[in-house]
Amino acid sequence: MKHITDDDLTLLYYGEHENPELPAEVAGSEELSQRFDELSAQLQGMDEWMPPARGDDYGSEVWRQIEPRLTPEYAEAGPRWKTWFAGLMQPRLSLAGALSLVLVASLAFMLGRQASQSESPVPQVQGLPSSIALSGMDTERLLTSSVSGHLDQLNLVFTQFANSPETSLAAADRATDMLVANRLYRKSAEAQGKQQLARFLAGLEPLLIELAYEAHKATPESLDRMQKEVRDTLLFRVRVMNQQLKQPNIST
Amino acid sequence: MTSTEQQIIRKAAAGDRVAFRQLVLEHSHAMFRLAWRISGDQSAADDIVQEAFIKAWRKMGSFRMESGFRAWLHRITVNTAMDHLRKQARVKQHESPQPGLEQLAAGASRPKIDIQIDVQVETRAAMMKLSETERAALMLRHFEGHSIKEIAQILDMSATACKQAIFRAVKKMRIELAPLVTT
Repeated sequence: MKHITDDDLTLLYYGEHENPELPAEVAGSEELSQRFDELSAQLQGMDEWMPPARGDDYGSEVWRQIEPRLTPEYAEAGPRWKTWFAGLMQPRLSLAGALSLVLVASLAFMLGRQASQSESPVPQVQGLPSSIALSGMDTERLLTSSVSGHLDQLNLVFTQFANSPETSLAAADRATDMLVANRLYRKSAEAQGKQQLARFLAGLEPLLIELAYEAHKATPESLDRMQKEVRDTLLFRVRVMNQQLKQPNIST
Repeated sequence: MTSTEQQIIRKAAAGDRVAFRQLVLEHSHAMFRLAWRISGDQSAADDIVQEAFIKAWRKMGSFRMESGFRAWLHRITVNTAMDHLRKQARVKQHESPQPGLEQLAAGASRPKIDIQIDVQVETRAAMMKLSETERAALMLRHFEGHSIKEIAQILDMSATACKQAIFRAVKKMRIELAPLVTT
């Protein structure tokens, strides 16, 4: 009989066990029953942790707070690019570029695995166009040039933000796209073992989060702090990293 | 999901504010509980709920009816709460350290003796010691009743990784809560 661990008992407690005989085994063993009772009591203890009460009108209060911020453009079911003017296209391109990169990188990774399994130096898959049968060097170059383009756009967004007296929901939307793109590039960099680049991109995320979710409703003091950080630190770091990426001899 | 709910969601996805308001009224309390349990802070939870609904409104067009609407909303709430926590952590780096939740979580500000043990406070402190992923996974399983498969989708991770996160969270919570619970 397989040893029953506390993890098995946890799954049993939550009704997620995959072994149909487990309940009977626990019930039939004094030791297991005792362990299960102990686990149950401790997990039930968590139920003491009750959130503060919210009144019956909480939903209405939430609605009152958010309604002014629900602009019609956001609820479009179709492609949003139709409504965007040229300036807003830049970050969207960054997001599209990131998605394309992830797709190509994933494909290259799968092809690479096939190649290593068949001990062939260059993966050859029937039916695939030669343009997407990428070597490791190609995916590395693709990542570098894509991130460089992303940093160009970040440079633009950060510069606009640092010099604007106020921010808007449209700017928040742009920052959201940049944040998503940034995360995809970071994951691609991690997957390719480019740890320095991945760490650099990870370091940009907290501010992008703030720009996406907070900047448009921030107090003047907070906005000032964010803009100062962008001006004093981030813009410089983005430009330096971008220069490094454009010089292929420097390792990232 | 009932056909009435589906109809409301379709209308909201098409930009119908009245329909979206119905969704807000229906899901606000549950979203607050989830946001509060992840953030550990009342006013932060209020902000998270509002932000999550605004994001939901923006993304309504991408919701697919075959996936559960509640799980979809919870995913947005969890992501918003995690972003909020990361932002908070970052802001705190810029500010002078003040006694707060982290200290409470670390046990630094808790008197060690001569106190009446408050299970609620201890549970909250123990929860805050979990990693974000462990906490979110445990919250979604224990309090919201999502299956491991659903939680894996909500947290964008594999079912195995999700299971391991729950196991780790349960082990840590048991260590913290064992002295308070007698069987």
